[in-house]
Amino acid sequence: MTLPTAHQSLLSTEGIAKSYGSIVALRSVDISVASGEIHALLGANGAGKSTLVKILSGVFDSDAGSMTISGSAVNLKGPGDATDAGIATVFQDPALIPDLSLDQNLTISGLRHSDVAPWLERMQLAELDFGLLVRDIPLATLRLVDLARALAHDPQLLMLDEITAALTPEQTDRVFDVMREWKRMNRSVLFISHRLGEVLKICDVATILRNGRDVAHLDLTGVDEAELVTSMLGAELARESMSISRDAAPVQGAVTDTDNDVVLRVTDLQYRDKINGVSFELRRGEILGVTALEGQGQSELFSLLSGDHRPTSGEIEISGERLSARSPYDAIRKGLVLVPGNRHEALLPQRSIRENLATPLYNRIGRWFSLVGDESERVDSVVTRLDIDTRAASQVGRLSGGNQQKVTLGRWLVSDFEVLLCFDPTRGIDIQTKAQIYELLREIAAEGAAVLMYSSELREIPLVCDRVLVMYGGSIVHEQDAGTATEEVLLTAAHGLKSAQA
Amino acid sequence: MSESPSTAPPVDATDEPRPAKPSIARQLSARPQIVLIAVLVGLIVVTAIIEPNYLSLAGLRNSAFFAVPIGVLAAGQTILMLTGGIDLSIAMIATASAYVAANQSPNGAVIAIAVGLLVGLAAGTANGIGVGVLRVNPLIMTIAMSGILLGLFTGWATTIFAGSTRMHDFIITLGRGTFFDGNVPWSVVVWIGVSILVLLLLRRTGYGRNLYAVGDNAIAARLSGMRSWQVLVVAYGISGLLGAVAGLLMGGRIGAVDLQLAGFLLLPSVAAAVIGGTSIFGGVGTYTGTILGALILGVVQSMLTFLGAGQAVQQVLYGTIVVGLSWMYMRLAAAQ
Amino acid sequence: MTAVNTTVEAKSAPTRSWRRWAQRHGWTVGIWMLLVFLVVWYSTLIPRFGGFQFSTIINGGTAWIFLAAAQAVVVIAGGLDLGVGGLLVLTSATAAQFMDGQPLAVAVVMAVVILIGSAILNGIVGWVVAVSKVPDIVVTLGSLYIYQGLALMMLPKVGGGSSDGFRWLFTGSATGIGTNPWPAVVMITVPIAVAAWWMGRTPSGLSLYAVGSDETAAFLSGVNAVRTKIVSYAVAGAFVAIAGFSTLAIAGVGNATTEGGTLTLNSVAAVVLGGVVLTGGAGSLVAVVPAALILFFFNPILSALGVNPNQAQVIQGVLLVFVMAIAGLIELRRRRRS
Repeated sequence: MTLPTAHQSLLSTEGIAKSYGSIVALRSVDISVASGEIHALLGANGAGKSTLVKILSGVFDSDAGSMTISGSAVNLKGPGDATDAGIATVFQDPALIPDLSLDQNLTISGLRHSDVAPWLERMQLAELDFGLLVRDIPLATLRLVDLARALAHDPQLLMLDEITAALTPEQTDRVFDVMREWKRMNRSVLFISHRLGEVLKICDVATILRNGRDVAHLDLTGVDEAELVTSMLGAELARESMSISRDAAPVQGAVTDTDNDVVLRVTDLQYRDKINGVSFELRRGEILGVTALEGQGQSELFSLLSGDHRPTSGEIEISGERLSARSPYDAIRKGLVLVPGNRHEALLPQRSIRENLATPLYNRIGRWFSLVGDESERVDSVVTRLDIDTRAASQVGRLSGGNQQKVTLGRWLVSDFEVLLCFDPTRGIDIQTKAQIYELLREIAAEGAAVLMYSSELREIPLVCDRVLVMYGGSIVHEQDAGTATEEVLLTAAHGLKSAQA
Repeated sequence: MSESPSTAPPVDATDEPRPAKPSIARQLSARPQIVLIAVLVGLIVVTAIIEPNYLSLAGLRNSAFFAVPIGVLAAGQTILMLTGGIDLSIAMIATASAYVAANQSPNGAVIAIAVGLLVGLAAGTANGIGVGVLRVNPLIMTIAMSGILLGLFTGWATTIFAGSTRMHDFIITLGRGTFFDGNVPWSVVVWIGVSILVLLLLRRTGYGRNLYAVGDNAIAARLSGMRSWQVLVVAYGISGLLGAVAGLLMGGRIGAVDLQLAGFLLLPSVAAAVIGGTSIFGGVGTYTGTILGALILGVVQSMLTFLGAGQAVQQVLYGTIVVGLSWMYMRLAAAQ
Repeated sequence: MTAVNTTVEAKSAPTRSWRRWAQRHGWTVGIWMLLVFLVVWYSTLIPRFGGFQFSTIINGGTAWIFLAAAQAVVVIAGGLDLGVGGLLVLTSATAAQFMDGQPLAVAVVMAVVILIGSAILNGIVGWVVAVSKVPDIVVTLGSLYIYQGLALMMLPKVGGGSSDGFRWLFTGSATGIGTNPWPAVVMITVPIAVAAWWMGRTPSGLSLYAVGSDETAAFLSGVNAVRTKIVSYAVAGAFVAIAGFSTLAIAGVGNATTEGGTLTLNSVAAVVLGGVVLTGGAGSLVAVVPAALILFFFNPILSALGVNPNQAQVIQGVLLVFVMAIAGLIELRRRRRS
């Protein structure tokens, strides 16, 4: 190694490894971030990105390997050490204390309001009231505040872990501005995102992780998304996943227009100021997509349908019967079941796959004192059907995101249902599992059930759905055949704008 | 985090991941109950060194007498901890049940036992309504229940329950009687019966699944259609019932009741469950572990008795040993 | 379901800040008002209400206040200390052993030594809680046993005593009975005010809230959770020592056979009544002080009403459940609305 390169490199690691018990997260990672570059860290789910970020920021100790910052070896014992060494991180979950005000949070980090004020102004948050409790502030705002706090430490290296996930496009642009400025100052940014479009737009180089190793170091000029996917997944898997398409014949044939087939009818649903008069019908064998920007009432809609909250007014009719649910139990009994958007709201992390899959079998008091032996056959057949990885079967919390999502879906295959409500079922899972889930949903519909699916990824709507609804400001503003729905049309509608087509 | 997106063929759902060469430490931590058994044997040996006569049926019987009420109370505690709760009133419930049973003893064993159990069930169910329906923190609910019962019974002791404080002979036989030449206490038989029922409940019934689910993730349990309040009311009711069983056994052992009957069993009842590997935060634990925890505490009690230490020293040692054993268990669990 | 709302509600500033103030401090104000109401009511229940009655309440309440404050500090930092009652017995027994008949200066030195010792001892408990990962309930039930045992070793029989000057500090009189409440008021106000300032304004004090509220976020913000937990238990230990001195000053004689468990339960009740959230991260000493006084005050009021003490205990339990249920309901409604 020659001296100049060592000088140029701001942060470099060699052979970083980390295991959690018997599960290996990182095998050996070499990464080198140079001064003045925006460096992307990419990889499919479970590739080890988050673990690497946590090691680089001093949250975890690595089991093996070494790390140098500006040419000198460092050994980070905690997040404080990382800040001192010139690394500031914005984590996936904001590192702000929910029960304290923003001011008090700054005090804890040893900062004053004036330290973050210029950055907040840059992000158009100068008006933000610092007396507010963190728990009362929207997530997107918190991410930006967390970023401002990281910037106030004036770091050489800024690490951003999925910072754009909850942000609006405008907010994302403001973050990008900051990243560019950091680059101009000859400092560096390590950027982690699932959104490959963003990566190609803002990043200079990328390190790609697969199975806990760095498998590629790319200069991103002239690279396209397909190439990134190929190196993230490995050539063979990538071919498969890029060819996900609607090969299954459209099921519309099964859908007739007779009233008998309507399994879910929603009439003029109102919920506080979140949902204003939503009406739609869902037929047997149909997959109805819902899409919207963040916070347009979609999560409330799903929580009303699943019986988790009660509507202010309006009716939900399932198979001709009115739903008046005091808890999700009542909705489930009528066949209306939910796969929540957040897997942490669906799983029993410390229990086995079997117990997780079998949960809905025992929610009736009549089944409380039945013996659990007779469940095996149903559970095993679902495990096989969904191809669930059973190597960590004793604790679902240790499964990969994709397998966890399969378990939350599979639970309803073990029991029975009429209508499956899926809230963003493919959020944050790898491409291969996504394809499996698409296929599964189509199968479910083909077998005669109905699916209502919210998706934040516009491109998956035409892949999976028959019909799509777009929500804006608590109402349905657009409806069309999913097969012809382009991202452009959907996005226009999702912003509440009238499009020429439709 | 799995290594690659599911290329392995689906195997039996109960299959454990198999590391190539498991270290001894890891093997042990995967089966912490083996360690508990080792601790139990070790303590028995140490006690036998202190008092050689301990290693006889009579000596071990002595430990069993200590372990039985702890084990029964800890069954209630285990059930509640699985839901993320706890019952700090369980010792007072035991006392109250025993008190009422003693009072009713002149009316015959059946009535005495039935009324005693009913008191436990009622107090436990009241706890359950507080926790499950009114959503009062379990700690506060049961602390309050403990105070309420103490207040009520202190007043009633001289009024409506002013009569008998002596247990019915049948209950006394259950509490301190033995068979097989005086070598096997009847209370052990009662405990075995209770254990079989509790183990069945936790491992083999749908209700057991509900308990674990509510404790592991209340939101997920709700979204998969469980109604936590029902699960909780029943759980606290069962715990109260188990408290009553323990109270009757304690009352039977002493022969007569007073309001300090079972109070000292509170820490052991919580500790037995924790030492046995039940998480106080819910979702993880087995009654098998708790049984081992109760046996260990029974032996510790015998050991302290044989040491001939005064009450003060006993208290200090007991507290230290309980914390030490819990700590050891946590380290093993963390190693996994 | 994750409902992410990206727009901050725009409300007129004065309404907003008034609402926020009411939301944050409503409980504190309410509990102080309740205390004032009870004192006024009590003064009408008994034939004479003057300096003697007032100082009896303040003097007797001192130990309750410090015990509750100790519990509050630990609970805010996300813990629970069931051992405080035992530690009170231990510190007062120790003080009784060493302070008996000493001049004020010696007694104060003794007090400082015992206070530091108590803080260190309970700090060790905090260290065990933080490092061992054994649930705090188990560790502190253990420490309750240990403290009571140690107290019995320290003072096997009822005996020992306080120093006259020291008794004056806590009761306004060398005999423990008098009409001057002011020394006790100062002994309460100064330590509590210092602690409240520390917890609300300084990084190390705010760390208690941080660790109690969200340990992961606290860790990511650079807060050392282990150190913070130890500090919380140590501060509690110091408070308990003051409660122990006060108990001894009033009784005039040490007693190691007092049931520490009951004292602990009172402290937990006071903390809850004082609006400290049992899961940690929120609450204030300023509200715990009147809550502790109210609980202490309960028995005199009920006995003035002609209720016997056993029924008082029952009423207290029912009331505690009632308050918790109401508080839970308010919290539930607040969450639903947001």
